[in-house]
Amino acid sequence: MTPRLGLPALAVGLVATLLARPAAAQDPRLERLDAGTRPLVAALVDSARTAGLPAEPLVQRALEGTIKGAPGDRIVAAVRRLAADLGRARDALGPAASPPELEAGAAALRAGASPAVLVQLRRSRPQRLTVPLAVLTDLVASGVPVDSAAAAVLALAATSRDADLVEFRRAVERDIGLGAPPAAAASVRVNGAASQARPGPP
Amino acid sequence: MFEGGRDVVDQIIARLRRPVRIDPSLDARVMERIATLPTPRRAGAVTAAWRWLTEPRHVALSPLSGLAVATGLVALALLLPALARRPAPTIHELQFVLVAPHATAVSLIGDFNDWDPARTPMRLASAGGAVWTAVVPLSPGRYRYAFLVNGARWLADPTAPAALDNDYGGPSSVVTVAGS
Repeated sequence: MTPRLGLPALAVGLVATLLARPAAAQDPRLERLDAGTRPLVAALVDSARTAGLPAEPLVQRALEGTIKGAPGDRIVAAVRRLAADLGRARDALGPAASPPELEAGAAALRAGASPAVLVQLRRSRPQRLTVPLAVLTDLVASGVPVDSAAAAVLALAATSRDADLVEFRRAVERDIGLGAPPAAAASVRVNGAASQARPGPP
Repeated sequence: MFEGGRDVVDQIIARLRRPVRIDPSLDARVMERIATLPTPRRAGAVTAAWRWLTEPRHVALSPLSGLAVATGLVALALLLPALARRPAPTIHELQFVLVAPHATAVSLIGDFNDWDPARTPMRLASAGGAVWTAVVPLSPGRYRYAFLVNGARWLADPTAPAALDNDYGGPSSVVTVAGS
């Protein structure tokens, strides 16, 4: 081979190697998985990364399964499900959604919120949606029906700051702790917040 | 040479030395003709720069230099997405607290430390007490976590929401850091 042909070929090879390297490199943390599970999880992580989805939540979900002694097929299923939820969240929130937003969106979908709720939240609130989505999920975890939780967050998200939403969630949880029915607690607190925000008669 | 020839040469020289009579209207006709020609536009700086940019040139590059340029372009392509990302988010220090009276060791484990029990051991707030604490720097986002007591017993954080996306069972909690 002449140098004239060899050097361009070398350059092309180097370029191809550099371009291929990020996709093919396996996260060293996945070494904690057993040999049968590792390639399956690595493939899911690579696929998510190629699709533009955040890979870190998938790695963390796999590592959680490892420390909790979950069998390999359960870990793979959990990672696959989370990847699908992240994809659905991105479809609803749009391609500009940040990784924390996608993660919070995936959790909200998992909690039972519909993609339409995520779309509505995106339209109604110019700021980041991580906290509103997390509050929605946390309300459901507290026992508030998902429709009530979604309605409450949608009612507050457009005008409330992140800190206000967190305080709202805490107030609802306090009320539930004191014995209020979860749906009623959310509804009462939303109405209270709305009447505070609405200018009334002096 | 012959004598008659010299006369002829002298006559030619004399003829050539006579002043030439030019038609007096020649200047006017020439200037008139020039006036009818289109005026050439003077190239501006932009036009000159554009010509300089678009004019084909031969660039000499050694194979090694070509390789270096190719490598640089690839590195640039790989770095650009990272450079285009948003500025680094603010880091918040969050304190986690667990009351565990009979514990001898407590670890805080979660999405923020690769679920590694060795990474964030909790410390007793006071010797002989039951309050365990740990401070963790977190960037904005949603994190799932749990406490591991004595290396065997999992506990959720009683002050935090429970994690609904709990694929492996056992207690897990969620903390959300605003700002993302």
